[in-house]
Formats: sequence, structure tokens, C-alpha cells
Amino acid sequence: MSGHVTELLPLAAAGALDPEETARVETHLRECAACASEAGAWRRLGERLGRMPSPRPSRALVARTMEAVEECLAERRETAWNRAALGFLVAFAWTLAVVSWLLLDLVTGEMALRLGRSVGPTAAWYVAYVIAGWLAAGAAVVLLGRRAQEEGRTV
Amino acid sequence: MNPDRDDAARLRRGDTAGLTGLMGRHQERLFRYLLRLLGDETVAEDAFQQTWVRVAERIGRYDAARPFGPWLFGVARNLALDHLRRRRPESLDEVDEPATPHESDPLALATARQREAGLAGAVAALAPLDREVLALRFEEELALPQLAATLGVPVPTAKARLYRALARLREKLLARAPAEEWQ
Repeated sequence: MSGHVTELLPLAAAGALDPEETARVETHLRECAACASEAGAWRRLGERLGRMPSPRPSRALVARTMEAVEECLAERRETAWNRAALGFLVAFAWTLAVVSWLLLDLVTGEMALRLGRSVGPTAAWYVAYVIAGWLAAGAAVVLLGRRAQEEGRTV
Repeated sequence: MNPDRDDAARLRRGDTAGLTGLMGRHQERLFRYLLRLLGDETVAEDAFQQTWVRVAERIGRYDAARPFGPWLFGVARNLALDHLRRRRPESLDEVDEPATPHESDPLALATARQREAGLAGAVAALAPLDREVLALRFEEELALPQLAATLGVPVPTAKARLYRALARLREKLLARAPAEEWQ
């Protein structure tokens, strides 16, 4: 008779042995009454574990869960809409800023800033306004990116 | 035709009918698994609700080429383990000390003793990770490779965990009632 296989019996009852181990256990059990009895006890334990009382979620819990998910989906739709609106506003701000720069060139009739000539107070305020617009749009892009990154973190 | 995949696609579009289908097919297994892992019905109910909310939030990341069940269990597992770590940061591999009813309440004491004597009591007295591996193998009937995938460990590690959980369960049963609970 080969050596006892006591250590393999729990996993044999769980159906978690590889084919070689299974063959070794089966061969041994045909010859060893003690191990066969132990294997029977493990098998019965496995069967009892599979038959343990199986609790079910109550109807109230399922209803509460559905409600919570619906709220979550509504929030997701709102977030998506807000994000799209914000994205559009950022794109619109950038477009306005670029167009206004071109308009400035057109109104002054020449590239006053690039030529280094002094510009009048109105034009200077206009340039400041354009730069402020660019900075605000840039800040919005950075904030949006950080928010999207935070929302994207996994479970 | 894969109903899980179709319902996941519906849910991705924001259609709650998709959730109804997914819940109908998976709610019982999920609740049983959470209850075994967490060992407390109220906590399991919270985790159940949080899991489905998280599923709705993250459904865009579900790979429809793979089965839905393991992904769902993965979401639930992460939430449950986070909860257990908050409750007991040192280890999930150690046994919870059960609350003992006050001695002045004989009915509660008798009920607790009766419960502890049976198989369910022995399982409840195991560490969360031991309860989990037993539930996945014997109640959810996952084969070893699927069990390992759900636990996020290699197959030999899953096998070792299963062996250890069974050995510990046997110890608990022998300590409670050797004659009735083992042979």
C-alpha cells in the first residue's frame, strides 16, 4: 500500500486536485480503509457546505437599490450634460479670443504690437482683455482635466 | 445572444431596464457571497446596494467580451474588502471575535449556542477570507481557475487558500462537536 494521502483529501472533496493527484488519491483509497473513511467525511462536509441555507435579498432591499441606481444614473446624465456645456464654453471662449486678436489687427490696420510701436490706451486695454480671456480659458481646461482625472479613479 | 452583454449595453446607455435584467440574474448569488464574506446581514445589504450603484457608475469599463459575473463579483469584492479593512485594518485573515449575548438574556444565549454548534456557526467563526473561498467553491461552485480569477490570485495560491480554509473549518467543527460534526 502506498503512503497515506490525508493531506490531499480536503482538496479532493473540493474537486481541486490536478489529474495526477486525483489518480494517486483514487488508487490509495481502494487500498486504505482509514483514508477512505476520512475521504467520506470530507465529501460529506463539502456537500453540507453546498447546501447551507441560502439567504436572498429582500424585495425592499432590491427596491432601495434600484432607486439608488436610478439616482446615480440621473446624476451621471447631469454630469455629462454639464461637462459638454462647459467644454463648449471653453471652445467658444478660445475661438472668441483668437478671432478678437485678428480683429484687433484689422482695426489698428497694422501689427502694432509686433512692430513694437506704442499703442493707445484703448488698444492696451483690449490686449489685456484678450490675454485675460486666454488665461481664464486655460485655467478652465486645467480644472476640467483634473476633475475628469478624479472622476476616473478606479474602485 | 448573451443577455448579460445586452443588459450591460442598455445600462451603459442609461436604460434602467438593463439593470433590472442584470439584477434579476445575479442578485441572489451576489447577496449570498457578500453575506458570507462580510458575516453581517446589515453590512451585506449596504454592500449589495453600493455594488450595484458602482456597477452603474463603472459599466463603461466593463469589457463585454468577458463574462459579467466575475466582473460584478470583483466590484463587490473590492467594496467588501475596503469595508473590512476599515473595520479591522490589521488582517482579513484573522477571526472576528463574535459578540457574546449578555448572561441575563438566557434565550439569546441559548440561540447563540445552538447557532455556534452547527456548520453555519463554524463557518461564521472563520476569518473573512476563509469564508469567502469556501463560499465561492462550494456555494457558487466556481472551478479552481475561476475561483483564482475572482480572488485575483494565481491558481496555486487559490488552492492553498482553499486547503487552509477547509483545514480551519475542520478544526472549528471538531472543537464544537466532534461526534456529530465530523464523522
